[in-house]
Amino acid sequence: MKNIYTISLLTFREALSKKIFLFFFSVSTFVILVFALLFGFVSAESFSGGFVNASTTSFDNSIANGIKMFIIYPLYAGGLFLSIFSVAGFIPTLLEKGNIDLILSKPVSRPQVILGKFFGGTFMVFSNIFYAIFMLWILIGIKFSVWEANFLLSAFTITLAFASIYSIIILVGILSKSSTFSLVISYMIFFIFSPILSSRDTIFAFIDSGFWKTLFEMLYYIIPQTSDLSTITTSFAVGNSVENFDSIIFSIVYIILILLGAIFIFRKKDY
Amino acid sequence: MNAIEVNQLTKIYKTSKKNIEVTALNNFSLIVKKGEIFGLLGPNGAGKTTLIKILLGIVFPTSGSATILGSPISDFRIKQKIGFLPENHKFPNYLTAEQTLKYFAQLSNVEIKNVGLQIDKLLELVKMTKWKKTKISKFSKGMMQRLGLAQAMMNNPELIFLDEPTDGVDPIGRKEIRDVLNDLKNSGTTIFLNSHLLSEVELVSDRVAIMNSGKLLKEGTVEDLTTSKESYIIETASNFDNNLLLESFDNISIKLDPANKLNVNVKDNLELNFVIDKIRKAGVNIKTISIQKHSLEELFMSLINDERRGEK
Ligand SMILES: Nc1ncnc2c1ncn2[C@@H]1O[C@H](COP(=O)(O)OP(=O)(O)OP(=O)(O)O)[C@@H](O)[C@H]1O
Ligand SMILES: [Mg+2]
Repeated sequence: MKNIYTISLLTFREALSKKIFLFFFSVSTFVILVFALLFGFVSAESFSGGFVNASTTSFDNSIANGIKMFIIYPLYAGGLFLSIFSVAGFIPTLLEKGNIDLILSKPVSRPQVILGKFFGGTFMVFSNIFYAIFMLWILIGIKFSVWEANFLLSAFTITLAFASIYSIIILVGILSKSSTFSLVISYMIFFIFSPILSSRDTIFAFIDSGFWKTLFEMLYYIIPQTSDLSTITTSFAVGNSVENFDSIIFSIVYIILILLGAIFIFRKKDY
Repeated sequence: MNAIEVNQLTKIYKTSKKNIEVTALNNFSLIVKKGEIFGLLGPNGAGKTTLIKILLGIVFPTSGSATILGSPISDFRIKQKIGFLPENHKFPNYLTAEQTLKYFAQLSNVEIKNVGLQIDKLLELVKMTKWKKTKISKFSKGMMQRLGLAQAMMNNPELIFLDEPTDGVDPIGRKEIRDVLNDLKNSGTTIFLNSHLLSEVELVSDRVAIMNSGKLLKEGTVEDLTTSKESYIIETASNFDNNLLLESFDNISIKLDPANKLNVNVKDNLELNFVIDKIRKAGVNIKTISIQKHSLEELFMSLINDERRGEK
């Protein structure tokens, strides 16, 4: 356990050294400041744009939701885009000749190395995303007196989406040792496959071939379903009730399986 | 308990692309005793690095077994007591010298009483104190090598593996590294050294092994390997008619070098005295007689060449 913690910590440090996380942090801070200024100068009513005396609470609520969505979407797409970009090189860097030799010569087991990398990277992304969401939650709370804790949960689902792609990055990194390749695969999953597969029910309406249907079904379970997670994320954000937690459970199981696979392969490799 | 016991290790690398197999180690056995400096010599591609990597669990053997400090190599915890300087090591380049040492100390999972003091001590030892706060991306090759050496000593290891430690280091630096190694040895650390710089290994090692193509060719103390009892050098005081001299020695091989030194190969003491008598009878004065020492390099060359001839 201590070894995993140590490697996570060192990975967190490695992530900090990458400018891109700093960039992520700066953008979040900038957006938060803009909102803070906006909230400071503009009264809650003016957000209504002229409607007066509507039931204020529900109105504040919908404005708050609008602002939340305004922040959640870019955070989900943009934040994950940057996060994926910055962690894609972790495993290939780790596996570079002269580095991996040193790491493996230390009293840490190979599974510990992989788990440490995973938790370190994930925690870095989580802190960035949580920072943005938490600050915004406070601002909205103060301004509109809307304190919905569910909004904070979206930080976890976004992180979960990241983690499922990160696990793939780790697996592909071990197999290919190439950060470019890991990156391409991750983006393809995140921006192409996952959205398509997520709407497979719609697509099924257009195809009769059993083969294609099975293929789609299979891919659906092989590829992390970040799009499904984004649906839950928005539900959390706007305070809709979430009844179906399947995609969360599915993602967690998925991450565990992929990491087990990665560890299994990593355990037996020569470096 | 020996520091290292290697038992019939074989390593066959399978390259994934073509179906080429490389036998990097071939039934390799070796023992390194505690407290000695052991030098492993061999030409490029002999399998030296492979052996170290197997001992450290970086590469897995195809067959055979080995122990380090009494533990089987599959037990990763024993590595707490081990230091390693890989060839062409790469450190995270966003760190400074000081941070690098801290980083690897954390990984070695050892409670070091005062990390700060330990870092200062080691940087001093490898003459890098000046660069403590400098980013290692700005380091030269020799500086990296020194830092690597300090890194390998961070956890006060009982056994330390150094793969080409003087690679890229200037002659003064090499001398300094040799001194560091001797200090380490005096403090009881076992040192396993990989190198093809023979003269250097000769200077520090207690015992050496010479390997080629994954096989152990010769092993022993430097003294044993470099002295050959049957070879003598006889230094004469004056010139003499060497034609006449050489004719009269039957089967004994004698060579005269320009400095009036005779290289004599004899079977035994009797033959040696026979040669001396002949020389004296010819009226030549003898200045010195000494046992011939081959440099490790000569032995190395002849062993490797024999091997290569054998292969053809
Ligand atoms: N990962 C690998 N995959 C395939 N072959 C390898 C691998 N590593 C080493 N080899 C081969 O194994 C043999 C031994 O290599 P090794 O690195 O152990 O030699 P070495 O004695 O350390 O050489 P050098 O003095 O050049 O460092 C070489 O033929 C090399 O090509
Ligand atoms: Mg080598």
